[in-house]
Amino acid sequence: MDEYSDSDWNWDFYEELVDDVDENKNIIQCISCGKCVGDCPASKVSNFNIRKIISKVLRGDKSVLKDSDIWYCYLCERCTRVCPKDNINIPLLIINLRNESFKKGYGPQYNDLRKYVEMSERFLTSGVVVEEPLGEKLSQERIDELNAICNFARIKYVFKASRSNKNKSKKKK
Amino acid sequence: MEFSTLALNLDEIEKKFPDNAIEFFKDKKLCLFKACLEKYFPGVRWGIQDLLEELQLKVETCINQSCCSGTFFQRNLITRAQFAAINERNLNEMNQLADIVLFSCNGCYNSLLRGREFLNNHEVRKKTQEILNQLKEKNNTENYPGKYEVLENPNLRLVHDLDFLYLIRNEVLNSLKFDLKNLKVAVHYGCHYLNLSRDKRTAENYLKDKTKLDELITLFGGNPVDYQEKESCCGWGASQLVIHPKEALKVTLKKLKSAEKVNADFILMPCPTCLYTLSKPEYREKMMKWYGEKLDIPTIHLNELIAILRGCEEDRCITLRRKTPRLDEIFEIITQQ
Repeated sequence: MDEYSDSDWNWDFYEELVDDVDENKNIIQCISCGKCVGDCPASKVSNFNIRKIISKVLRGDKSVLKDSDIWYCYLCERCTRVCPKDNINIPLLIINLRNESFKKGYGPQYNDLRKYVEMSERFLTSGVVVEEPLGEKLSQERIDELNAICNFARIKYVFKASRSNKNKSKKKK
Repeated sequence: MEFSTLALNLDEIEKKFPDNAIEFFKDKKLCLFKACLEKYFPGVRWGIQDLLEELQLKVETCINQSCCSGTFFQRNLITRAQFAAINERNLNEMNQLADIVLFSCNGCYNSLLRGREFLNNHEVRKKTQEILNQLKEKNNTENYPGKYEVLENPNLRLVHDLDFLYLIRNEVLNSLKFDLKNLKVAVHYGCHYLNLSRDKRTAENYLKDKTKLDELITLFGGNPVDYQEKESCCGWGASQLVIHPKEALKVTLKKLKSAEKVNADFILMPCPTCLYTLSKPEYREKMMKWYGEKLDIPTIHLNELIAILRGCEEDRCITLRRKTPRLDEIFEIITQQ
């Protein structure tokens, strides 16, 4: 296991993350036991290693935001279950790191986001993620409410981008 | 202010009604939460709805309920406050017509519980209410008071279908026409059921296995079999199957193979998302193409199984879209007189 001296620790990044999501403060309790890695489905098929990710955050190493590893988490909460500490919410930390990565432009680019376009479009036009719901459809008034809730969210940008791409390809034709 | 969990207190019901938990539900209005993926597996909805109607319980669905939006939160496409606002809107609508909401999907159940947990964060709660206030300004609130308020202390309670069916298992058993004929069943609980509600302050709660599905199989005349990957993920992994399909399908493959190795006749689960992942023919074909493994073990949702055991019409309990020879075989074995 790597050994660190006092000068290796830098709390700026940690404090930024805690500022954003208060619950992240609990990651300081991490004792690097590695139980989370041993039981993690993502670690079995990729280089995803939550112990290393937490260690990087606590050392203020922002390169973690550029690592593709953070996009391999299954958010299955197995780590939270096996962690001997009580309140370390690893899936929430990963969602927070992905958010920071997105903001800095390191996250998946539009090409990758295209995989989400269909689902986003269905949600904002019908309130479900499949072609049609089983049973009655949601009324337009309710769909408008969902759109208002999602104002300024990334889902709206994905949706708008898909619309403008569709229009462009129509014009080309 | 603390937002306590809306999960139905199962221990309390079991204590109060040790032999006839169904009595607790008789004067309650029940609502089935509409999981999006029930579209592909309608038997998941009809299985529980038909049973509840036969047991003469009051049950309906909420026309104004939307998708739980968990998938968008997990993909960083909406914020915690937006996720919580979508949740509150759904809860508010269901609170108008029901006392208890039942969930056939681990993901939806997890989303609704998690959305409420987020409200314990002061900032998230404030932002959630601000979002709802915007709706209040634009829309008509005459239908009912408090329509766009964060619900502070609702009577509404949430319960997973598996927990509910286990609670009323004796009544379920009495409603069955067929039994499982000693079939070997590999059960899959799914991460968002298995890893939830672990209170680490008591060793019993933290360490104990979740066994309700295994117990139901035994009760219904089947034989639950243990297998190496019993507690592992189905491979869906919050869209990992979309983003990193090759890696995710390795997880799915290991699970299916492990169940086949112990000669299980089928895999049983309480979640349509896991069912989608473990049964989709395209995924099985890709596993064959990428890893050279042909897997044909059938997969069934608990609600579908109950419909089969109750003798429902075949097309009402198992969707035709995923019919495979092996699934037909299971149906034939169970329903033979």
